[in-house]
Amino acid sequence: MKYIIIGASAAGLACAEQIRKEDKDGEITVFTKENYLPYSRPSISYYLKGVVKESSMYLRKSSYYDAACIKIITGAEIKSIDRKAKTIKAGRKSYSYDKLCLCTGSKPFVPPMKNVSGKINALTFLDLESTKQIKATADKNTRAVVIGAGLIGMKAAEGLSKVCRSVDVVELAPRVLPSILDEKSAKSVKKYLEEQGHIRFHLEQTVTEAKSKGNRITSVILKSGKDLPCDLLILAVGVRPETELAEKAGIEVNRGIITDPATMQTSDKNIYAAGDCAVSVDMLDGSKRVIALWPNAVNQGTVAGSRMAGGGLTIKGSYSVNAIDFYGLRICTCGLINAVGGKYSDKIIRSGDSYKRLIFESGRLVGYVLINSSDNAGIYTSLIESKEELSTLTGDICETPDPFIFPKDERNTRMKGELDL
Amino acid sequence: MKRIYAIEELCLNCRLCEVYCKTAHSQSKDIIKANKFETPAPVSRVTVYGDNFLSAALNCRHCDDPRCVKACITGAMTKDKKTGIVYVNEEKCIGCMTCLAVCPYGCIKVGKPAVKCDLCRNEEEPACVKNCPNHALIYTDLGGEDK
Repeated sequence: MKYIIIGASAAGLACAEQIRKEDKDGEITVFTKENYLPYSRPSISYYLKGVVKESSMYLRKSSYYDAACIKIITGAEIKSIDRKAKTIKAGRKSYSYDKLCLCTGSKPFVPPMKNVSGKINALTFLDLESTKQIKATADKNTRAVVIGAGLIGMKAAEGLSKVCRSVDVVELAPRVLPSILDEKSAKSVKKYLEEQGHIRFHLEQTVTEAKSKGNRITSVILKSGKDLPCDLLILAVGVRPETELAEKAGIEVNRGIITDPATMQTSDKNIYAAGDCAVSVDMLDGSKRVIALWPNAVNQGTVAGSRMAGGGLTIKGSYSVNAIDFYGLRICTCGLINAVGGKYSDKIIRSGDSYKRLIFESGRLVGYVLINSSDNAGIYTSLIESKEELSTLTGDICETPDPFIFPKDERNTRMKGELDL
Repeated sequence: MKRIYAIEELCLNCRLCEVYCKTAHSQSKDIIKANKFETPAPVSRVTVYGDNFLSAALNCRHCDDPRCVKACITGAMTKDKKTGIVYVNEEKCIGCMTCLAVCPYGCIKVGKPAVKCDLCRNEEEPACVKNCPNHALIYTDLGGEDK
């Protein structure tokens, strides 16, 4: 069997490793357009800050791939897929496959702004290469402007605040981290970020155009007319699934590659897709969308790999779960955090600098937002995943969850497995 | 593999397991220094939950297919192929706590690196088990596959 995987981040690596587990002899080739062996992409902000060395960012030792007989070809952008001939084209070379997995991830979305495109100090913040460019550009005299106060933008802003003279963040939404925070919690997080990182926010604003000298941006003009001096512009508005290759090959795509929710198979039975490029079905509300988060990517990659090798792993259910920190402030989120409608209710517990919001639907937990209160968050996650009826629990789930919220039998299974000790 | 199992009927809520865990994971390895004077203060990997009426000491299960390993965004959390121990590579961990958010047992604590049981890696018997006065913690390989 010849397996080809396009993309070598979370999903691609998980896919390759699962194939190897189930097929000891198959030929596995992973292509990445980046010039690096698989590395931790979420670590780029820590690399920018200077707390992580490049050498610690690699997900596996370089000797690992030889030992596992997984061939990684770096710097190889795949131009096309010929589904009839079952080949892919990288540069001038063709490679044939029996099973193919698309783990192409996402690409930055850049909204139209006058005079920004092509400027050497306008950069995206998505991979190691762009981070190296940012690192090379930013110093203590740099006035940085970040467009976008989502997870990527705020991680960039945090990293830059440690090296730059000033950081301004421009966001279209009326709050920071709009995808994971509600209005109330966003307000306190914003205050914290302003205090800790001296970040200046410009909410409900957009950049309309940039002023430049030669091919360098010197300032950006906001919708309000404000002129912000700018030595480095980070474009972090958002990402879109990278589906171009799939579309060109005629694979079904609808804001992400369409896959069978149990097996990750695409509309072509020899081609699978996993990770940020693939559409998931959220088990909590049935919505079809891309869940661009690491655990989901690994899960999908693993299942795709198993299926490609003839195995039987199945996606048990996808949902979002994420943990992130800013200057020591810990934010954990899971499930339906922006759920609206009468069938959902929520409860907010605040004390000191901690904030906990639990979201319920008909007697079950379906989501949480935990700020500085993430202790044992995984127990909440497991309640969400197993759709446990909360009335069966013996403890108050608004407190920090522990094994004693479960009735005796379940608690004992959790502590002793099936053992009779 | 050998794992630690907790028996709530025998747990006295004395928390000696926590004291000895801290000591075993301290710099000084001295029970007084570790628990009173060391900075940064060592953190216990095992946690006793409950009250004097009913309690149990909760520890990492070292799952066969660990969610924390799968979810780790840096490759810092791994399961040792030979020993089965799930442990954190301190150099690689950035303290994002995604592992904590997916551990269904609540056995990972906040820290950089993330704090969790390593079964006292090179010891024959983990410190918490060795020092439990009422045998409420059992270290055995009787348990089979674990999810």
